[in-house]
Amino acid sequence: MTAQLVTDLTTSNPKAKSMRGADLLVRYLKQEGVDTVFGYPGGAIMPVYDALYDGGLKHVLCRHEQGAAFAALGYARASGNVGVCIATSGPGATNLITGLADAYMDSVPIVAITGQVTSAVIGTDAFQEMDVLGLSLACTKHSFMVTDKNELADVLRQAFSIAKSGRPGPVLVDIPKDIQLADIETMIVTSQRDPIVAHSSAQIEGAIALLQQAKQPILYVGGGVGMANAVEQLQHFVDVTGIPSVTTLKGIGAIANTKPYALGMLGMHGTKAANLCVQKCDLLVVIGARFDDRVTGRLESFAAGAKILHLDIDPAEINKLRSTDLSICGDLTDILPALETSLAINEWQQYCWDLKQEYRWNYDAPYRSIYAPKLLSQLSEKLPDTAVVSCDVGQHQMWVAQHMNFTNPKNHLSSSGLGTMGFGLPVGIGARHARPACDPVVVVSGDGSFMMNVQELGTIKREQLNVKIVLIDNQRLGMVRQWQQLFFEERYSETILTDNPDFVTLASAFDIQAKTITQQSEVLPALEEMLASDSAYLLHVRINEADNVWPLVPPGASNADMMENV
Amino acid sequence: MALHTSRLKLIVNQSPEVLERILRVARHRGFEVKLMHWSSEHGELELTVSSQRAIHLLTSQLEKLFDVKQVTDLNEQINAKSA
Repeated sequence: MTAQLVTDLTTSNPKAKSMRGADLLVRYLKQEGVDTVFGYPGGAIMPVYDALYDGGLKHVLCRHEQGAAFAALGYARASGNVGVCIATSGPGATNLITGLADAYMDSVPIVAITGQVTSAVIGTDAFQEMDVLGLSLACTKHSFMVTDKNELADVLRQAFSIAKSGRPGPVLVDIPKDIQLADIETMIVTSQRDPIVAHSSAQIEGAIALLQQAKQPILYVGGGVGMANAVEQLQHFVDVTGIPSVTTLKGIGAIANTKPYALGMLGMHGTKAANLCVQKCDLLVVIGARFDDRVTGRLESFAAGAKILHLDIDPAEINKLRSTDLSICGDLTDILPALETSLAINEWQQYCWDLKQEYRWNYDAPYRSIYAPKLLSQLSEKLPDTAVVSCDVGQHQMWVAQHMNFTNPKNHLSSSGLGTMGFGLPVGIGARHARPACDPVVVVSGDGSFMMNVQELGTIKREQLNVKIVLIDNQRLGMVRQWQQLFFEERYSETILTDNPDFVTLASAFDIQAKTITQQSEVLPALEEMLASDSAYLLHVRINEADNVWPLVPPGASNADMMENV
Repeated sequence: MALHTSRLKLIVNQSPEVLERILRVARHRGFEVKLMHWSSEHGELELTVSSQRAIHLLTSQLEKLFDVKQVTDLNEQINAKSA
């Protein structure tokens, strides 16, 4: 039997009548156009790893299943294609869950393949058995457990189709070991995106009327624009209408900051200009966004005087948190061009422009130690437009959002909805595999986040990946520390990390070149050295623990009431 | 805010976990299931739910479930008939 299986595996005869379920999976992935998968082997997924051994598909061994899930997520976000991760049953599958939850919150198309114990022992508390289908319900768009070998190929087709259709999201396919080993005769049919329901001309006419009535319209741009591949259409719409814009964390890159009336990010750590203009607008055009609480501040006071025009692919987002005056569900690449109209809003544009100038960033830090916002601004200037920046979660994440410039959302990878520390390094690894070698990949991390998936330095070493890491180290869990300072009477509970490891020595254990800098004068030469190196590089940046993220909308406050540096 | 009670009828795929999916969404979105009638043979589920939240916040989420084919608000139907 083994000899027969090897023959089936090594021949690329598309008419091969029968193959193991595991071989079918690998063949399916190749036909689907997947070139790289991320995973970690184990008992109940061994047939799949046997099929991967010479199956002609690039497999990246991450050093923890959470790393594999996030690498698949990074691959998906940096490429726009479906990312694939693979894990074994039980602990392998449970370790994927955080990555799936992150992908679910940020609508990222991922297919996760998990091994499951043999069908006959499911429900007997077998070794490494866990009800992964049950676990997946809250953190995936959909999930399958394959119960019939003849359904495997079609389940895979459905999984890819669901992941990338409509509002994208993660899909899990749990495959019992006996089905991985079963001989299956089947045709492989690959997935397609479901068609998007077309909008009506009456909706477009109504929306244009709203735009033309508005004296002070503003665009609130979310992650949906990038996922709809509507960045070009949005930029054209902005050029034609001249409407000022703000973006969410996920919307960053959909409109370049260089556009005259692009006011930057709004919300808790947004720019003051963005928040004040949104508060004053009379029409809020919501494009692929969902009124997240970090965006709106106190919801009742968010753009309270504005009419709402909501454009989104997901009907469940319409009227979820804020009633709309008009909504259009559909494809933004069609809707935005249909809404182009010229508007007479010069006075409003001037108002927004003036606020943008008044509240532009000031990098004149009065001390010699390194000021992270300035460093990130300098890094941004040195990177080409094609560079991908993957960040972790915390103060440095907000500084990246505030002080680096992006021209495509695929280039700014940040855990937005779930806010997962440990995101940056494995997502950077996934992005590295998704993008050509000429696109630099930079991970911006903090000393807290970095340690959460630090094992992925092993993946960088194993794959010899040219990933740059800027590790911003304040020896604190900085964002929590900031809130303790401001809202918990400076009671710094469990946020002091003066016992961090020596990060340069740590990097060197993985053959990664590294350097520590502590003074402003060292920043530019260090950035140049890092970017000039042709392999992985860790730049360890020591900063002052008292540096906080400003401005800030305090919890429960209106976006009009931003706190400044205290 | 007052509690509202709604009756929903769902037509669903007969996957083994479909009830879990629906009940999980109802709980998570803030709706208490007061009464249910499940016909696995026909893939039909009638739910009576109660919440301070508007019922569209539940139906729009249930409609997104891959295994849910149709959601009908029976209150709305009754209202439509009596109007």
